[in-house]
Amino acid sequence: MIVDVNAYLGHFAFRRLRHNTAAALLALMDSKKIDKAVVSSASAITYRNAQAGNEEVAAEVRGHRDRLIPLAVINPFYAGWQDDLKACHEDFGVAGLRLYPKWHNYSLSSPCCRELVNAAAERGLVISIPIRVEDNRERSWLLDIPDLPLEEIVELVKACPKARFILLNGIGYMACLLGRKDNGLPSNYAIELSRLSAVLANEIGQLITNLGAERVMFGTGMPFNYPDPALLKLEVLDASEPDKEKIRWQNAATWLRL
Amino acid sequence: MTIPQTTSSPPAPQPRVSRRTFLKGSAAAAVAIGAAALPSARGAAVEQPASGTPSGPFRKGSVIDCHAHLSHRSRATWEADDRKLIEAADKLGIDQLCCSTLTPRWPATADGFRECNQWTADGMRRFPGRVLGYCYVNPGYGREALEEIRRCVEERRFVGIKLYNEYTCTEPVVFPIVELAIELGVPILHHAAHSHYFVEDQPRMSDGGHLAELARRYPEAMLICAHISGGGDWEWTIKALRNAPSVLLDTSGSVTDEGTVEMAAAVVGVDRLVFGCDSSMTAGVGKIRGANLSTQDKEKILGENMMKLLRRRKP
Repeated sequence: MIVDVNAYLGHFAFRRLRHNTAAALLALMDSKKIDKAVVSSASAITYRNAQAGNEEVAAEVRGHRDRLIPLAVINPFYAGWQDDLKACHEDFGVAGLRLYPKWHNYSLSSPCCRELVNAAAERGLVISIPIRVEDNRERSWLLDIPDLPLEEIVELVKACPKARFILLNGIGYMACLLGRKDNGLPSNYAIELSRLSAVLANEIGQLITNLGAERVMFGTGMPFNYPDPALLKLEVLDASEPDKEKIRWQNAATWLRL
Repeated sequence: MTIPQTTSSPPAPQPRVSRRTFLKGSAAAAVAIGAAALPSARGAAVEQPASGTPSGPFRKGSVIDCHAHLSHRSRATWEADDRKLIEAADKLGIDQLCCSTLTPRWPATADGFRECNQWTADGMRRFPGRVLGYCYVNPGYGREALEEIRRCVEERRFVGIKLYNEYTCTEPVVFPIVELAIELGVPILHHAAHSHYFVEDQPRMSDGGHLAELARRYPEAMLICAHISGGGDWEWTIKALRNAPSVLLDTSGSVTDEGTVEMAAAVVGVDRLVFGCDSSMTAGVGKIRGANLSTQDKEKILGENMMKLLRRRKP
């Protein structure tokens, strides 16, 4: 079994995505033997009203809930986010949220964001945070969205110990507190591997050593990314088979209550 | 099945991911032709270079990483890092790596690039048959750069030239380097990127448009535009090189955007694509594996196109 905690549906404003409908993504998953994927709206990254993207995803995954697990994109500075959160959880059945603080122009330390995180935690929802959407060097001339500094995540996980975070599309965890052993942080965050190395510096192996395999999750970033590099990482990773099983699906199943 | 090697190189460990696995990504094509019939990378027969081409063995069926680097020895871990590169290549089924060593600071001095090339030559000795050398120079050093290229290619059997960002490739100071590359029959791997903003720390960066312009001036030159997947807007780069038929595109880089390889194949043709990693090993291999191309097309990208280029070396 393989569960991908980092997948998307819909359009992205700056590049054509393929495999971005439920049917096409499922076909891609079938070809790669990926059983389930945790999806959110790529369109909601740039929609002003992110809830429109959540509605699109809810419609897309209908009939595929056994394989596509929706997350909601919520901007805590946009009017009515409390209503959107309620609708996404109670009507759409999302398993968690995806937050885009840099794209939606707010700080993780802002009271509104903390209020959203705590409200999500109260509902038992996971909070998934992409460190980046795309490589900054290929950005459009229209904008300059920096990667989310990992130090801001450190403060968030400390401030909200009851929330559970899945960090996506990140790299360089060993250079900050998040990837270090006995770091004094609550164990309320897990790290997805799509940008981590499995050879050379082998950041995945270091995270397993420092945090435990329970804190590493499989993700691809599809359809932004080819899923194959992430699958290949699991193939070449020097780790025990039980640890690989945790990473492939068991951790995601536990965190997302699949 | 183990197939005996016929080179004098020590046998390398069996790769965990054979070329058969590389090619599984194009599921339809692989199934259609029967992927099991393909040779594994390590088991590929060794083919001698074309007559009169004293440039060392380029193995038929090899997977060749056209863009790799050995560590600069100012890094305390350089030896272990180089070993890890080869171990990663073993795991991923990469047979040969075209390596340069770059100075940690730019612009490189003549002493700096000579030292780097000495270390590359040493890497070729330490990993015989696995490491192929690119001679790195700063074109601004004129005669010294040309002498270094000649020494590296003619005496040390380097396979090509690596140019970085000291000069934009259309500046006249670069032309003698290109002319010497033509004379020697070796390719130039040129650092390149196109971003929609000014890259302050690389003010003389070349992009696909510059390389297309250089190719129009020197159509017989063998130019490789580096890392389309680590060089900013790859769609721009691919389109900029559409009408520059002598320029090859290196697929390396850390970016794994879905559709990159397919678009490059559609716009410039698979014959102009060469596989590379530029130290992003699983990204480099994974995007080829994931590309929706035929097995034959992937064979070209993984090694055949680069081998063709390397065989054009002048005697």
